[in-house]
Amino acid sequence: MRNLPSRRGVMTAGVAAALSLALAACGGGSGGGATTAPAAAPSATAAVQDALSKPAELTFWTWVTGIEKTVARFQAKYPNIKVNVVNAGQSADQYTKLQTAIKAGSGAPDVAQIEYFALPQFALSKQVVNLAEHGAAELKDKFAPAAWGQVAINGGVYGIPQDTGPMAMFYRKDIFEKLKIEPPKTWAEFIEAAKKIKADNPDNFITSIDPGDAGGVDSLIWQAGGTPFKTSGENQVSVTLATDPGVKQFVSTWGSLLSEKLVDPQPGWTDEWWKGMGSGKYAVWMTGAWAPNGIINSIPKTKGDWAVAPMPQHDAAKPINAENGGSSVAVIPQSKNIPAAVAFAQWLNSDPEAVKSLNEEAGLFPATKTLLEDPAFRDAPQEFFDGQKINQVLGDASTAVKADWQYLPFQVYANSIFKDTVGQAIDGGGDLAGALKTWQDRITAFGTEQGFTLSAG
Amino acid sequence: MTAPATRAGLARPFLRLRVAGYAFFLPFFLVFLITVVAPLAYAIYLSFFQERMIGGTVFAGLGNYTRAIGDALFGAGLVRVALFLVAQVPIMLLIALLCALAIDSGRLRWPSLFRITIFMPYAVPAVVAALMWGYMYGDQFGLVGQIGDALGVTLPDLMSRSWMLGSIGNMVTWEYVGYNMIILYAALRAIPEELYEAAEMDGAGAVRIAWSIKLPALRPALLVATLFSVIGSFQLFNEPNILQKLAPSVITTSYTPNMYAYNLAFNGQQINYSAAVAVVLGLVTVVVAYVVQIITARREKTL
Repeated sequence: MRNLPSRRGVMTAGVAAALSLALAACGGGSGGGATTAPAAAPSATAAVQDALSKPAELTFWTWVTGIEKTVARFQAKYPNIKVNVVNAGQSADQYTKLQTAIKAGSGAPDVAQIEYFALPQFALSKQVVNLAEHGAAELKDKFAPAAWGQVAINGGVYGIPQDTGPMAMFYRKDIFEKLKIEPPKTWAEFIEAAKKIKADNPDNFITSIDPGDAGGVDSLIWQAGGTPFKTSGENQVSVTLATDPGVKQFVSTWGSLLSEKLVDPQPGWTDEWWKGMGSGKYAVWMTGAWAPNGIINSIPKTKGDWAVAPMPQHDAAKPINAENGGSSVAVIPQSKNIPAAVAFAQWLNSDPEAVKSLNEEAGLFPATKTLLEDPAFRDAPQEFFDGQKINQVLGDASTAVKADWQYLPFQVYANSIFKDTVGQAIDGGGDLAGALKTWQDRITAFGTEQGFTLSAG
Repeated sequence: MTAPATRAGLARPFLRLRVAGYAFFLPFFLVFLITVVAPLAYAIYLSFFQERMIGGTVFAGLGNYTRAIGDALFGAGLVRVALFLVAQVPIMLLIALLCALAIDSGRLRWPSLFRITIFMPYAVPAVVAALMWGYMYGDQFGLVGQIGDALGVTLPDLMSRSWMLGSIGNMVTWEYVGYNMIILYAALRAIPEELYEAAEMDGAGAVRIAWSIKLPALRPALLVATLFSVIGSFQLFNEPNILQKLAPSVITTSYTPNMYAYNLAFNGQQINYSAAVAVVLGLVTVVVAYVVQIITARREKTL
């Protein structure tokens, strides 16, 4: 209030950075990975290779901490190309700036980090380059199918996968052992475990659920086998939050967890929440495989207390997993040197040296098969997790991801009004199914206004 | 033969004066055009169109305006800031007035220290303020939680639905009491000494002087402060936006009209509708500010 409008943007970005340490929170991807991208003209692929030996200057927008080290390795190898790393804000803040610069016709970077959930929006409006035209489709086999599925949109390739977030259950081994709880394999066991924790101390919960985080709920629906969002062609969108069987599974499990007050409706990544994570108020964090970095940095005193297990299942016979978060690196059409930008994006995310550095120096969970299958990566015991080989669990979690999930071509907006609708029921203990229907209604109204042909159910 | 020369001699300084006047005025006018008039005109221009992700931009006429007027989310936001205005502004201005009178009374031991301390929050960066209040309002591990634990009671969650507007009011008051105090204090300093001397000779005490000399002299400054606060209330954005991360289900995307316009434009890419909402909000603010001014002016006449 009573501030100059110009301070607003700076402030929001600052608060986002200050209040959350998320490296790559919320997100997922758009499926349709089955479509084969058209082969690029040989000349275009050659141009990308040639670009590495010619002088060029690139600007790269990213909010990944520590990525400068990976970029420095690129510069050491290809000294002709100068890369300026710029942090233009995190997630939605960066997308706002990016979209404004693209519309304005100048000021956009050559290369930008875009989360999987936002990529369809940029791809649909042609605000990012179709990398298939520059030979990127050849990289397909290097990446985990779940990661590649999220950048292969409408027959094109709109980004190079950088990191992924296959979901897993991070739990407090000390609390589970004390209360003689086995890591739940099914959601029914999860509810039983939640009751034991509540019975031991009514102030404690098995976990929290963030009323403001659409990405978290999207992932839980995905993990229940749901596909409530579908896009076909350029303008056909279907939203089935009211009828999708996976959504119903999610509602029955989480509806009872919430109504029996077995989970805490508390926003994540805040100071209060981290204190709760550190104090043992919460025993479980179900999230993407990028979580260890956050735990290690934010609550170092819980060293040795944590362990990782696969997600609880709705049907133990048919295990399903989902992604939570993860980003791709896309090339912006405004770039004056698209071949060099493509070459950089490819090297950064697929060169063995680069992906190793992204994992070790920037804390990202890998998207490439090479690293996910590398015994040195899989079998390394993690000191913080009391020697557990957590990458085995997380790597298997990646393989189990169901690949047909899709995001809306306007998921950024849909996620922003989640707190107005579903968030209300999560916090107020209200009717979850009704709130999901309200969310659907607002999504379809927006989509129709934006010129899409909507079908809802 | 000499006449034209004389006339020219007379005209030249006059002309020079006029040119000089415009020359002094021009830099301001250019900046005003570029930074105030142009964006405003552009926003009004934008509000008559509709840009879609599929199908491009179409002329919408008054469509965005009729939608804004019937928009329940926008309406609820307006009611909320109006409520905020009625409750928070009088409290804040009263505290600011008391502080200004206290400094001006000359009875404080360290008046400048007092002044700086009250004014300080205005200079605290919003990010720091956000972290600070987020901690203080925290009912689990924050100050409220700690006080509750120490006293063995459960204090209310200040960031819950029923307390939130009051908590924001508290933040805003903390931030702007000093600012308003400075406006009022400056007006107090402008009162001529002779008036005080005359009043003292007539046997008036400190309270009587405050009531009969200081308060009437403060009226124009109070009007300015009230108008700023009215405008500020309708523009309420920073504080709720800061707290949104901590209470996402309480502070929705349409909590205040300004937040609604911001979210429409930047999360929803509905720049055109957002522009219409902003224009309507601007008009409402102008009307309310004008009404406040008329009421105050009329009261002044009757006094």
